[in-house]
Amino acid sequence: MNLIFRLLRKNTSLSRLAGCLASNLIGLAIIGAGLQFYLDARSIWQQKDSFLKSDYLAVNKVIGAANTLGGGASTFSDSDIADLQAQPWVERVGEFSRADFNVHASVALQAPAEGEQGRSMSTAMFFEAVPDDFLDIPESDFSWHEGAESVPVIISKDYLALYNFGFASAAGLPQLSENLISGIPLRLTLSSDDGSRRVQMYGRVAGYSNRFNTILVPQNFLDYMNSILASGPAPESASASPAAQGASEAAQRGSGKASHPAPSRLIVDVNSPGDAAIGKYLKAHGLEVAGDKSAAGATYLLRVVTGIVMGVGGVITLLAILIMVLSMSLLMEKNRQKIHSLLMLGYQPYVVARPFWRLTAVLAISAAVLATGCILLLRWQYLTPLESLGATPSGLGWTLLLIAGLTIIIILLNCHSITGRIRAAWRR
Amino acid sequence: MTTDTISNDYHIQSIELSDMLPEVFVNEAIPHSEVWLTHCVFQRGRHYLIEAPSGGGKSSLMAYIFGARTDYTGTLRFNNRDAATFDMTRWQLIRRRHLAYLPQELDLFPELTCIENIRLKNSLTGFIEERQIDEWLERLGIASRRDTPAGRMSIGQQQRLAIIRALCMPFDFIFLDEPVSHLDSTNNRIAAEIISEEAIRRGAGVISTSVGNPLLLHSAINVKL
Repeated sequence: MNLIFRLLRKNTSLSRLAGCLASNLIGLAIIGAGLQFYLDARSIWQQKDSFLKSDYLAVNKVIGAANTLGGGASTFSDSDIADLQAQPWVERVGEFSRADFNVHASVALQAPAEGEQGRSMSTAMFFEAVPDDFLDIPESDFSWHEGAESVPVIISKDYLALYNFGFASAAGLPQLSENLISGIPLRLTLSSDDGSRRVQMYGRVAGYSNRFNTILVPQNFLDYMNSILASGPAPESASASPAAQGASEAAQRGSGKASHPAPSRLIVDVNSPGDAAIGKYLKAHGLEVAGDKSAAGATYLLRVVTGIVMGVGGVITLLAILIMVLSMSLLMEKNRQKIHSLLMLGYQPYVVARPFWRLTAVLAISAAVLATGCILLLRWQYLTPLESLGATPSGLGWTLLLIAGLTIIIILLNCHSITGRIRAAWRR
Repeated sequence: MTTDTISNDYHIQSIELSDMLPEVFVNEAIPHSEVWLTHCVFQRGRHYLIEAPSGGGKSSLMAYIFGARTDYTGTLRFNNRDAATFDMTRWQLIRRRHLAYLPQELDLFPELTCIENIRLKNSLTGFIEERQIDEWLERLGIASRRDTPAGRMSIGQQQRLAIIRALCMPFDFIFLDEPVSHLDSTNNRIAAEIISEEAIRRGAGVISTSVGNPLLLHSAINVKL
């Protein structure tokens, strides 16, 4: 065996082997780095709301000067909704219900020291609700029933960012993490417009949304509070006991659509989020989608760039495979007479092929290992800036699988070509 | 044939050529031949001397019998089995165990030493002991070249080396293509002795070719190609 290796080694050129290794290495490194970067960077734009399916769009009318000055309708009329509902890409349409009462929230930021008042922050805010079946959140986390002391709310991530990076740093207040906020009870004061009716309760942050710039509460909570607190003829004994009063009032007012205020935002379940018709329709009707519009564009761009990079890597890998097959063929052509002589002595073709197989495997595996090293090095360089952009890096699994797969393909192709050459050398 | 070929007891008893002719000779007028376009049988245990004119197809015949070429018409049979049906594995087995071959071009590996060339062949079966190889090297006068690369040996020395290498297997027939073309009569006689001894030990047939300096075998049957 050793003798055979010595025989066949003679015509191998080190520089050609180095060339094979380098081309393979470059191809694999580019293709692997492209994939890895895509996987790592993708998460920046792919932060899904855990409680919302990705193919929901929050649609509102574009606010223009006409709306503001002329008081033109920024709300959707029944015919608007019916028209939207009739579009082929729409599965169903839900309405954002508005709170028809005032909301005041306060948070104790520091525990009160003895004898003095704790530091707290308070703000006026608002509530909206969407039909419960549009939300994908466990019933227990986002539900409210009559008489419950606290209500779950979902707030926009942007609000937290505004507070943390805008307000808190300017006002010298502590910055808050999502988890921390979720643990702090919000003291809510709900009151009617004229201030005659008032409900005190607690709010609890149940989740954060990237897509809806609003504060969501359960639909039944909103309906119930609207029925108690909405402006309108105030019941005589409103101030006495709002909770007890509410029940009868709700029954009395009913929840019929007729009395419902026209919604200014709609939630739309679409069957194909990428449909070009959606954009066209929205533009034609002066509508805009809240939330991840730019994210879709960025993801698309990332995909295109990754596609180009991986395409280049793929072409280089293909060329590398070709170079390797050709180099092996050349090497074997040079050794053809020796291979023929060995076969004439009675050596089995696989015994003669083995040194070439081994050479191929060593080359391909070295290239794969080095390429993996390059990718890790590159990743180490880009991971910190990427993480500061909010990416959650993915694992190395797919990239390693790709490189391993390509390496196996390279080895198999070469081994196949080597076996073919040996068979060709059989005949004189 | 699969099982009996693999068994050590299997022997090729006869090599039979029926109406064989190299394809290049088809449509050509060829001189009278005792091999081509006739029925010709080589029996195990006998010695044959093929006298061949240049261009008579001697090397082609060797290539056909060793499976390296198939550009012939007619039929080649080993023990009544058509050689055209043999696959690569079968041929490799035949080359390892049943048919020994000394090609005219010797096909030595010049970068390997004399003894390495021999070991390359002998390691396939381990049939000949190292002691025996040394004895042959001694008798053929190339013991001093044992560790010399084959490429640096004279052509006559290489021919003797190639004869020893050809003997390093169990065989039923040994084919020697102009084995002594570069040897003097003394070395010719010694080579013939060794080959005869080994053929007798195996009960094998010897087929040698010559264009003028035949291997000095006793009682060889002359065949005109």
